Amino acid sequence: MKQDRWLQRGAARLRRAGWWVGWGPVAVALSLAVLLSAGTRAAAPVQGWYIDEAHTSIDFKIDAVGFPTTRGHFNRYSGRILIDFAHPARSFTNFTVDSGSVDVGSQSFNDFVRSAALLDVAEFPTLSFQSTQVDKLDPRTARVSGNLTMRGVSRPIALKVDVEADPAASGRAVAFLATGAISRSNFGMNFGIPLIDDTLEMTVRTRALSDE
Amino acid sequence: MNDAAAGWPLVLKLLHWASAALVVAALGLGTFMVQFVRDPALRFDLTQSHKSIGVAILALTLARLCVRLLTKAPKPEPAARLLALAAAAAHVGLYAALVAMVASGWLMATTTPVRVPTSVFGLFGLPYPLSPGLPKYLFAHAVHVMAAIALAALVAVHVAAALVHALLWRDRTLARMWLGRRGAEAVGVGQNADMRTAGVSCAMVVPRLP
Repeated sequence: MKQDRWLQRGAARLRRAGWWVGWGPVAVALSLAVLLSAGTRAAAPVQGWYIDEAHTSIDFKIDAVGFPTTRGHFNRYSGRILIDFAHPARSFTNFTVDSGSVDVGSQSFNDFVRSAALLDVAEFPTLSFQSTQVDKLDPRTARVSGNLTMRGVSRPIALKVDVEADPAASGRAVAFLATGAISRSNFGMNFGIPLIDDTLEMTVRTRALSDE
Repeated sequence: MNDAAAGWPLVLKLLHWASAALVVAALGLGTFMVQFVRDPALRFDLTQSHKSIGVAILALTLARLCVRLLTKAPKPEPAARLLALAAAAAHVGLYAALVAMVASGWLMATTTPVRVPTSVFGLFGLPYPLSPGLPKYLFAHAVHVMAAIALAALVAVHVAAALVHALLWRDRTLARMWLGRRGAEAVGVGQNADMRTAGVSCAMVVPRLP
């Protein structure tokens, strides 16, 4: 079976990617679900991709009054992307981020951002995003809607995603630049408002490599 | 008993010069971090250091006020009545500005809507007695800035006056506060006895820091 071989090869790659152990069963279930649903409706299966961690970053930016603009990023995350170029609406992605891996530039500042006032890492060790809808806006742009879970609160958000296929990789590598603004008060993170902006700008850069 | 040639008690000298170093550091750091530091993590860390230095200044100032009130000052060098009055006013002003600086800084850290725990030199947390609130914070901030300007001006006058005493008038005003040999000569026996008494009294009066 082609799909079985695809899964096995995907599994091997994901294991190398490092997050298979924890998310393996979930990924298998989701992959099967997506593949089966795609298979019943279309001849071409949804293409499976894995994330090239060397080309992935999850950054954020937030402004404040009387304090420099803070830029930070997360160092540990896992994610998956399924792309169906023929039927973009069937594409799917999810990301799970270790909230304790936040880095804003210094140990004490990191500790503060991890504290209950902000990310509350002790209580909520992960942030996650799961897409619910993908709309193709033009050949190189998509809008990905989905649920972001932060501090245990899930709220819908929309990200604009610039998609760029790597010409050198003949369609086997695709770069994504996802940007979006998050109102952190929607997630119960009210610390410092209005001196610290409510709006948090997220930028996720990633590169997906094809399994095929 | 005070000898006319005596200097300030050693403990006051030490407190004075330690405070001087910390005040210059806090004023310089506070101005530098707010005006020039654009890196958020560095600003965060420097603010913590600034707050720690402020708490140290508070401790030294309370100890100094206590010792100062319980010991006799050395007899002032002869000076015009108006100048002596101005000197006394400047010294009271320095103490007042120091207390205002630390109090308004503490108030800022307490009332800011961006409340960040203060870890004093990483040793203990600073208690925050009031609830956060923007109007209170803006008031504390205004006081802190004005007190900083006043303190910097008073320190400049204080240093200038000390130099005038030492270099132009060539009296012992600066020597009485000096830690070196010239200062050591100035410490009288009576001062040491005073100092010991004051030290014991202050240790009982000054509330322990958290």
